[in-house]
Amino acid sequence: MDYRDTPQEAEFRASLRQWLTENIPVGWDKIEDPEAAAQMRRAWHRTLYQAGYVGMSWPVEYGGRGLSAAYDAILNEEAGNLNAPSLPSVGYMGRAVYTYGSEEQKKHFLPTLLSGEAQWCQGFSEPEAGSDLASLRTTARLDGDHYVVNGQKMWTSGGQYADWCLLLARTDSDVPKHKGISCFLVSMKEPGVTVRPIIIASGEAETCEVFWDEVRIPVSQRLGEPGEGWRIAMTTVAYERGPADIGFIASYRRTLARVERLAAERGLLDQPETRKQLARAYVRGEVLRLNCVEQLAARVSGQQPGPEGSVAKLLWADAEQSLQHLAMDILGADELTGTESGWLSSYFTSRPVSVYGGSAQIQKNIIARMLGLPR
Amino acid sequence: MHALLSDEQRMLKEVAGQIAGSSGLENPGDLATRDRAAAWQALAQAGLLALRMRDEDGRPAGSGVEVAVVAEALGAGLVPVPYLGSAVLATELLVLAGADEEAGELADGVSRAGVLLDRRLSGLARLPGGGPWYGWDVDGAAEALALVDSPEGPRVARVPLDTGFAQVDGADLTRATARRDAPLDPARLRTVGRPLEAGDLARWEALALAAICADTVGVMRAAVTRAVDYAKERVQYGVPIGSFQAVQHLCAEAYVNAEAAASATNYAAWAVDELEPEEALLAARTAKAHCASVAREVTETVMQVFGGIGQTYEHIAHVHTRRALMNRQLFGDEGTQLLRIADVRLTGE
Repeated sequence: MDYRDTPQEAEFRASLRQWLTENIPVGWDKIEDPEAAAQMRRAWHRTLYQAGYVGMSWPVEYGGRGLSAAYDAILNEEAGNLNAPSLPSVGYMGRAVYTYGSEEQKKHFLPTLLSGEAQWCQGFSEPEAGSDLASLRTTARLDGDHYVVNGQKMWTSGGQYADWCLLLARTDSDVPKHKGISCFLVSMKEPGVTVRPIIIASGEAETCEVFWDEVRIPVSQRLGEPGEGWRIAMTTVAYERGPADIGFIASYRRTLARVERLAAERGLLDQPETRKQLARAYVRGEVLRLNCVEQLAARVSGQQPGPEGSVAKLLWADAEQSLQHLAMDILGADELTGTESGWLSSYFTSRPVSVYGGSAQIQKNIIARMLGLPR
Repeated sequence: MHALLSDEQRMLKEVAGQIAGSSGLENPGDLATRDRAAAWQALAQAGLLALRMRDEDGRPAGSGVEVAVVAEALGAGLVPVPYLGSAVLATELLVLAGADEEAGELADGVSRAGVLLDRRLSGLARLPGGGPWYGWDVDGAAEALALVDSPEGPRVARVPLDTGFAQVDGADLTRATARRDAPLDPARLRTVGRPLEAGDLARWEALALAAICADTVGVMRAAVTRAVDYAKERVQYGVPIGSFQAVQHLCAEAYVNAEAAASATNYAAWAVDELEPEEALLAARTAKAHCASVAREVTETVMQVFGGIGQTYEHIAHVHTRRALMNRQLFGDEGTQLLRIADVRLTGE
């Protein structure tokens, strides 16, 4: 057992750190206009790609570097430590394409997905299919050499800026619900695709709903076999919850440091209760980090991602939400009167952490299955 | 980075698990019948009491990770032997003081020693000072180790348990505690080895905390496994109770808390011998704060899943709870750890 970097990892970390200090776009976190922010993220994606930092753990044949997931984790950690913009999350959608795609699809889609020339979103959830994703109602009807898609998707993050969508739709309603779903690679520019932002409780447009009205997709853009959509979706979400994507840990640490400063500014650091609460927040962050580090080590040693991702997801939601509670308790009226701007928005942004990517209750169901408890 | 047990460490885990399996408790009645001497002998023969003895380069035979592997197995089995007290805490203290001969006797399993704790069980007794004191994990031990202040620094003192101590009817049924109210005259105690430095004491405390955390993780994991097994078999309303989501979520929450505790503990155990003493101590306090905050909840949840039968004295559930409650308090509960963490983080002390 060793929690230190290997010599290769240490060397990679050092050169990465150097690169980041030289390449993080100056003032990126002051950009307020959403369009400008989206443009910045695209440019950041290209910069990372050109330096070889996107898809490092992908197989070499698909444009990756064949490195272990530890390198993705180091990238996440250092980017977070140095306050870089969020990293592009190509990993899990790319994995769906290179695991289930035809050679032609891989050649066509993977290079631009990696480079950031094409931005992707994920069309899974629906108004009537949230936790019960398999009951989705969006249909794809075969019509000659095309599928025709009708329906509505929700929680399509980044939908307003995406060029392509990894879409789940029902192609067969005569079989059990998990078996009638297929997966598609669809252009968001097709006629019949309408994107509307969803304003979440914080007042910000965090995600989108997407309407599909007679959208035509060539059969060649179906990913995998008809009816294989559920399996593809499950692979994808397992990696979406993956421990290598631990950027949230660095962001948690930054937020904790800000909360500690708030407490200091308000002269609360001599209060034992506040000191305990701040230490508890530190402990939660460490426990989460160390749990992710172990899962990552298991992944690097060849284990497929499994239900243990649900443990990290529950710890993360609890840590993030507890930290916002602490900030609220420290700020008191100042958070509610707008004297300290941004914190109320952060609070409401922490609430969906226990909903998206599988709600806390669904994660507990997954763990119960893993423990072998009966249905 | 490789945050997983090595092949050798996995083998050690298996050996420790076998010993724990043959000498652990299935129900409280086993406390009267288990051959504790045989269990101690088995641990000695496997070399598990000698993990903290140093080689010629000053390296321990087993790092904090190996100690944690053994401690977790013995905690999981609720094994009623003084492994933590004698083989970890007392042995390490003697080794750090350079009292190799005395440490060797403990490591061979020939003699046993416990540790003398303050009245809050929050740390080693520092003499002179007022009691009462508690000799902890003193089953079969002739003495408990304490610290005596001297001009050169704290020294390790051997406090004989045969006079002035009374066995305590304490919470933990698996490890013995003895109380002393009568004053202790430091001048009449035998000290051993050289004075300890601050770094030694910090590293010793880190080891103590990490080992207690590992024991706690073992207690919690085994308790959760028992509850889950029961939930699969216990039938009410014609179905196993484990098919009810309310019960499933109780089990899942307990599992998450125990696994998170394990993650923090593994790192703390590794840090004992690999990081600077103050960093190792911060990692250990972090693990202890989390373990202490979840140990009661997890073992209570297990009693809840067992329902009525889980509230009875004949059932094993409360033995887990009792050992967990003791572990929470030893060397500082959650609040104590959090305040110390705050000292490091907020004031840089």
